[in-house]
Amino acid sequence: MKKRVGVFVCQCGTNIEANVDTEKVAEYARNLPGVVYSTTYKYMCSDPGQEMIRNAVKEQQLQQVVVASCSPRMHENTFRRAVEAGGLNGYLFEMVNIREQDSWVHHDRGEATRKAMDLVRMGVMKVLKNKPLNISTIPITKKALVVGGGIAGMQTALDIAEAGHPVILVEKEASIGGKMTQIDKTFPTMDCAA
Amino acid sequence: MSINEANAWQPKVIVFACNWCSYAAADLAGLNHLEYPAEVRIIRTPCSGRMDPLLVMRALNRGADGVLLSG
Amino acid sequence: MVAVAQHPNIELMTYSEVVKVTGYIGNFTATIKKKAKYVDWDLCTGCGTCWEKCPSKKIKDEFEMDMANRTAIHKLFPQAVPGKPRIDAANCTKLTSGKCGICEKLCPTKAIRFDDKDELVDVEVGAMVMATGYDLIDWQNSYGEYGYGKYPDVITSLQFERLVSAGGPTTGKIKRPSDGKEPKKVAFIKCVGSRDDSKGKSYCSRACCMYTAKHAYQVKDKIPGSEAYVFYMDVRTGGKNYEEFYQRSLNAGAKYIRGRVSKIYPRGDKLILKSEDTLLGRPMEFEADLVVLATAMVPAQNSLQLAKMIGFSVDKDGWYQEAHPKLQPVETFAAGVYLAGSCQGPKDIPDSVAQASAAAVKVCGLFSKTRMAVEPMTSEVDISKCSGCQLCVPICPYSAISMKEIQERGGHGHGPFTRQVAEVNSSLCQGCGACLPACRTAALNLKGFTDEQLVAEVDSLCL
Repeated sequence: MKKRVGVFVCQCGTNIEANVDTEKVAEYARNLPGVVYSTTYKYMCSDPGQEMIRNAVKEQQLQQVVVASCSPRMHENTFRRAVEAGGLNGYLFEMVNIREQDSWVHHDRGEATRKAMDLVRMGVMKVLKNKPLNISTIPITKKALVVGGGIAGMQTALDIAEAGHPVILVEKEASIGGKMTQIDKTFPTMDCAA
Repeated sequence: MSINEANAWQPKVIVFACNWCSYAAADLAGLNHLEYPAEVRIIRTPCSGRMDPLLVMRALNRGADGVLLSG
Repeated sequence: MVAVAQHPNIELMTYSEVVKVTGYIGNFTATIKKKAKYVDWDLCTGCGTCWEKCPSKKIKDEFEMDMANRTAIHKLFPQAVPGKPRIDAANCTKLTSGKCGICEKLCPTKAIRFDDKDELVDVEVGAMVMATGYDLIDWQNSYGEYGYGKYPDVITSLQFERLVSAGGPTTGKIKRPSDGKEPKKVAFIKCVGSRDDSKGKSYCSRACCMYTAKHAYQVKDKIPGSEAYVFYMDVRTGGKNYEEFYQRSLNAGAKYIRGRVSKIYPRGDKLILKSEDTLLGRPMEFEADLVVLATAMVPAQNSLQLAKMIGFSVDKDGWYQEAHPKLQPVETFAAGVYLAGSCQGPKDIPDSVAQASAAAVKVCGLFSKTRMAVEPMTSEVDISKCSGCQLCVPICPYSAISMKEIQERGGHGHGPFTRQVAEVNSSLCQGCGACLPACRTAALNLKGFTDEQLVAEVDSLCL
């Protein structure tokens, strides 16, 4: 696979920029093996930020993308979609966490910047080993099993059934209704429970 | 050399963190701005079950001063 | 209830339990045990001849909280849905000793089946909703100060519900279980087992404040000249119209005393409660005719085994664990398994219904697609390296790895031969990678977190 890595360093307003010199990180990334493009932006997850990624993938013919920003638990899918919109397989992408695990926990700008560089280097090294992955699909059996025939189970079963799907309602007692059938009137309206 | 001196030697610690708990916890630490030494480097793993002892050996072999496996 | 039974899209399986679940989101196979009812419900009309004539009449009626008797062949309660009886095998003389069989002789549709057996059926479903509800805490074993259940006039709120219900054993007249007299002074004790780290549970059961307000109101409403006293720690009325309802009880004359009851003991035909009024800062002694305990909700019996069998987690108290307390309150960590009602934590009816509808929407959302995408970061096997040792098979927590036979061409003087190699079901595989360290020949790799990728990360950090 060709090595043409693009690195996108997010400033997250000042969330990252306050403790990490993102320009310096982007410049450092430019000299890493395989990196052909590197830039910073104020909000990489915003529309213009994503557009930046899409366009760079196309114009720079990027083969791999690294985004250094917040936690992948936050925006991995956002950026994966942006990479795919640029025409690249979404799994030729890695995210580097320089916010939750860097700028927010290290207050020495020099140290945090150095760590961000390390993390970006890690991301670039990893992404060079990435392979395109294809999402497969599985069929869905459109039938639901509801376990328990009390007020909650009955309501769920009714709602799913009303939407047009078959439902099996399993109840361990010989009648549905659950605890509710033992209750006399119910607060706050004093309706009868049955 | 005292570790309190400027530019003092800091141990390089590699953390292998499970995506679902420890990595999330590290994110949470970030969210709460809890400071810890910057020499800590976290590698995300899908689960601590993924961890091959050889990866720990590799890290130590290549110069890591400590490895924390958390999951 | 009737709407559920009559809905053309709902298949009811009562007196049944889920005993096994395999598969994954969109493609579960559940094995359901239809327990023996000894009555053919297809033939039974629910006419009632059998339970009217059944000679075993002295069995404690669980539905009436043991405050009435029932027969061996019985309906759970008169308005049961379906309205058909079953035979309680442990208490039926025909099934235990071979004698009797009166119901069989009298049944006009010949629906009695003494040779009925438990039956297992497999069903294919795409999603599951757990709605296993709650039970009440076993207070009799832990609350010695309230008499370990040996005073008949110390009852639970659910027993009180039966006493006050028009369909209950007293047709709605509040009577003392001991002597059938109408109580004039009723004491309610809240938080029995709830918010009690030492003997019960640390959590609040959430519904008790309101139903106790209701019970106190019902005492005042049904018994002229009666007194209703509520011993409480706090009054929690967080819900629409709840505070107003509580005020209605107060206006009806219910008296609230802030304090924990430390002991109950009988004196004559009365019960004496020792307590404290913490607002006055005074110890007090209180005489009551009937004491009602608002006992804590606990997860339903066997709900833990069910969770383990299906494969999702429970919290420290055994309630079913939601995937996220705020953002995914009806999902579990097992894809395709959702939660409704108090199996997830103590809940009142409005909250249970709301959560039930939320779970239904999650299911309908899933069912709006014919196929669904699966995460491609799964394990894969390089069969050229796999030695067929099978070490990975028991390691997989999702049972996603099985062995298959492949044909080899042979060579070096050997003819074609077959051998076993591992195969990963990518729909079941959750991508944890636990199989990788188990593989002696490095035939397994995890897409997205391959050995090469992780080694590259380690090396880059350890420059």
